[in-house]
Amino acid sequence: MKKVTIDPITRLEGHGKIEIFLDDKGNVANAYLQIPELRGFEKFCEGRPVEEVPRIVPRICGV
Amino acid sequence: MAKLKLALYWAAGCGGCDVAVLDVNEKILDIANLADIVLWPIALDFKYKDVKAMEDKSIDLCLLNGAIRNSEQEEIAKMLRAKSKVLVAFGSCACFGGIPALANFSNRSEIFQRVYVEAPSSDNANGRFPQTSTKVEEGELELPEFYDTVSALHQVVSVEYFVPGCPPPVDLILKFVDLLATGQLPPPGTVLGSDKTLCDECQRKKGEKKISRIYRPHEIIPVPEQCLLEQGLICMGPATRGGCGQKCINANMPCRGCFGPPAGVPDQGVKMLSALASIYNAKDEGEIAKMVEEVVDPAGTFYRFGMSTSMLKRKRL
Repeated sequence: MKKVTIDPITRLEGHGKIEIFLDDKGNVANAYLQIPELRGFEKFCEGRPVEEVPRIVPRICGV
Repeated sequence: MAKLKLALYWAAGCGGCDVAVLDVNEKILDIANLADIVLWPIALDFKYKDVKAMEDKSIDLCLLNGAIRNSEQEEIAKMLRAKSKVLVAFGSCACFGGIPALANFSNRSEIFQRVYVEAPSSDNANGRFPQTSTKVEEGELELPEFYDTVSALHQVVSVEYFVPGCPPPVDLILKFVDLLATGQLPPPGTVLGSDKTLCDECQRKKGEKKISRIYRPHEIIPVPEQCLLEQGLICMGPATRGGCGQKCINANMPCRGCFGPPAGVPDQGVKMLSALASIYNAKDEGEIAKMVEEVVDPAGTFYRFGMSTSMLKRKRL
């Protein structure tokens, strides 16, 4: 099956790629959006003093 | 003169460094006169394959922000290194690991477990985690490998210059562009910023530094003109490079060290510990122990932006 890859997705905050699979007639059989990105704020904010969190989480997205 | 070719890329970052480039406002027109942009995912639609097709060393300048957190980021850093004459670690994540490197107190399996299983917003009863390769009906899907350890850019590829800051301040960005435009770039390895510490540049009144307890920010209203450290607030000024413009200090908030260690200091956290120890006004070991307890999160505070380049680098695996 033919595969069209759009990598990276641009003009947005964050990382993403799209994989489009085409059937024999060239029609879209299926498409997948993938996010090849994780930093893990959910984990590394644990144990930080609560008053420091407002200085950490703005770095989730700075756009 | 032919226009320069400029690439901007984000690895494990937040996009704040990219926006900082736009924060130069109308000066962006000067940058546009000076250079054609060949990659900038936040703003322009160039693909990785476009860069891959370019000849080695055909990009004059690459500003790379974000830390190296997964295999894709490492591969693209290596590709941009090969294609670029000058590669700049742009912002605290690329320079020192930054906020994403706080994850070095943890590891991949702990992070996956928390994010994809335990997080209240996750519906994942089967405990499925992202895989580097997944077979689907139509073929195969690939994701980068998520590393246990977050690295700074120069720990993965060679880097010519370091522009620190979370994000880098506009005047520093413009200074770098000016040095580039006039052919006056400093020797490779230079960290842009001041050679002094933030303390040396700070305008707050300084007296005798002796503290008998540490305050958390909600426990005290600091006197605006006086040194924050003297008032018992942990301020990373003695252990941090100057040149940031002191936005935090001017907002009555203590420094958290985003400019990294000053020149000649190999480890920011050790430098800060040493500074704190020298101002502790403790009479006996009991008082010392009490004050040490008052520092709630020493590693996460003293290495807030610098775990990757610290001597610790990470928690033992």
